[in-house]
Amino acid sequence: MSVASPPVVRLQRTGMTRLRREGAIAPICAFVVFLLVYIVINPELLTRFQLQTAANLVVPLALVALGQLLVVLVGGIDISIGAVMSLCNVVFATQLENVPPPVALLLAVGVGLACGLFNGFLVAYGGLPAIAVTLASAFIFGSLAREVLDRPGGGVTKEIYLATSGELVPFLPVSLVWLSVVAVLLWLLLQRTALGRHIYGVGSSMESVRAAGIDARLTKLLAFGLAGMVTSAGAVMLAASTVTGDPRSGDAYLLSSIAAVALAGAAFTGGRGSIIGTVLAACTLGLIGNLLFFAGVNSYWQYVISALIIFTVVGLPVVWARTTSALKGIRS
Amino acid sequence: MTVRDAPATHSPVATGRPPRSTSVRHVAARVPRSIWPLVAFLVLFGIGGLIRPNLVTIDSLIGTATFAIILAIASFGQTVAVIQAGIDLSVPNTIAFSALAFLGLAGPLGPTGAFVAALLTGAVIGFLNGVVIAKLGLTPIVTTIAMNGLLFGVILLVFNFSELTAIPEFVIGITSAKVSVFGLEMAAVLLLGLALMGVLQLVLSFTGWGRSLFVVGSAAEAARLGGLPVDRIRVVGYVVSGVLAAFAGIVIVGYYQQASATMGASYLLSSVAAVVIGGASIFGGRGSVVGTVGGALVLAQVSTLVAVLNLGANIQQLIYGVIILLVVSLYGRSATT
Repeated sequence: MSVASPPVVRLQRTGMTRLRREGAIAPICAFVVFLLVYIVINPELLTRFQLQTAANLVVPLALVALGQLLVVLVGGIDISIGAVMSLCNVVFATQLENVPPPVALLLAVGVGLACGLFNGFLVAYGGLPAIAVTLASAFIFGSLAREVLDRPGGGVTKEIYLATSGELVPFLPVSLVWLSVVAVLLWLLLQRTALGRHIYGVGSSMESVRAAGIDARLTKLLAFGLAGMVTSAGAVMLAASTVTGDPRSGDAYLLSSIAAVALAGAAFTGGRGSIIGTVLAACTLGLIGNLLFFAGVNSYWQYVISALIIFTVVGLPVVWARTTSALKGIRS
Repeated sequence: MTVRDAPATHSPVATGRPPRSTSVRHVAARVPRSIWPLVAFLVLFGIGGLIRPNLVTIDSLIGTATFAIILAIASFGQTVAVIQAGIDLSVPNTIAFSALAFLGLAGPLGPTGAFVAALLTGAVIGFLNGVVIAKLGLTPIVTTIAMNGLLFGVILLVFNFSELTAIPEFVIGITSAKVSVFGLEMAAVLLLGLALMGVLQLVLSFTGWGRSLFVVGSAAEAARLGGLPVDRIRVVGYVVSGVLAAFAGIVIVGYYQQASATMGASYLLSSVAAVVIGGASIFGGRGSVVGTVGGALVLAQVSTLVAVLNLGANIQQLIYGVIILLVVSLYGRSATT
């Protein structure tokens, strides 16, 4: 069947099919609608200053959500992600006082990797449930973060801010460039390497992956480690854009990263979820507060509206599938 | 065929491990799980006594237990959610919402009316959670996180915090007021919590609904095939969870005599921690409110020890994490691996 169709058409079709299968259509549509509403209400978004502010607001969330996505893809969930973020954030901010920025960056990413491997080792080789392991490590990493730095501070400088959160060229915030780099690398890894395919495989069918002779445990471990690294990137971006290190800065990202992954249509049983969907879902959730501010609505509504968006975008396909199958049942 | 398959699927686990039929293990396996956190608490209490002999007093025990029982009351709803293979991450803002609703309505409705109304808000929150989870099939984690966020928005939009200062007398009477039992002074909340624990444990262990909660938690599909109304049991489970969290909100407001929008935030992770340390399986089908009280006692004793030794709140959190890891590695292994 697929042999008969010309290769180009097949490629496009697989691209769309992949997006649909990964549940990315709904969040992409939601983002497009959201962006249109945003621009209608507040055309000023397309000015240089607002683009930069908006980008700095959503990029840390998008990166952390990508970290959460990696863990969700292998069928886990990371309750410690906020604590990992706080820890990397303060490590980056405090080490800037001692070592050159690239070394501080490497240290932060290394700490993220170590946190991820710690969780991943206990989950993959210890056979322990991810939610319980990361609940425990949330307490541990959180306390380590406050050991490193007990109140907001650190040595983040203006140069760091400009390098991560300024503008590359007019109308192109640097933070978006960094986000794209991470997202594209991650996409290449997930879609074009064996490890990436194994990550999806482990999440969707652990047994088949094992039967195929793939080391499912190692794959899980690496997915957790990778998630830690991506999370640390989000922590660094947050420290840089707020020009401070804060041992509690990651707390809010625990719930919002899970919300973004849910909105992205990822399956929490694993094996389904897309990078583009996650990034756009994070952008939608991250910008709701701004939109309400510009629309002159009490910005407390953002919490209510975020929740309703999640319920709608995640729930509608389910209701839709139910009704269509019910209708089919009536017809036949 | 299934009979022949069964040992085959288990063999990779069984091979390479010593047989588990040693008599000590056998006996240990028969002890109810809810005993272990209580044992752990007594051990920690003893350690405290070794370090500072003046810690081993009835007053110190009552102080720790009072702190523990408040956490336990906040975790009872979480226990019910975890037993049915769910989780309720909307506990923090259900606590805050019910506490604030109680204070706000105490004027117009009177204390009793406000009490009932606050519990009703908990029931409504739980009902919405349950319907979305059971009927729409959304993951409990996502549903309750979204609900938690939604409630936070509603709390900030609805309540005028400056007006919420008067705490009705009868709530103070059942929480922070001192009562004397066998000549021992203790806060009323301790008795209230223990009574609630007793009632809940009886309901979970001996009523049809309580038992069905465990069945749904351990094998939802089998329960469905067996003719149990799984969706209804789930929804009722979340309603109970919501009502218990709402009750916790009123208790907390009565004991600490203050309320704020973020008053529940610390219970997000610690309620799950108490349930897990209490021996519940995070996969559902296993857990008890007595165990949860034990888990809360362990956490409270750790915080007492940390305070006495002047180690700081950071070390306390670190120890919490290590304890959870220990408990999970003792009996948290997933059935599939």
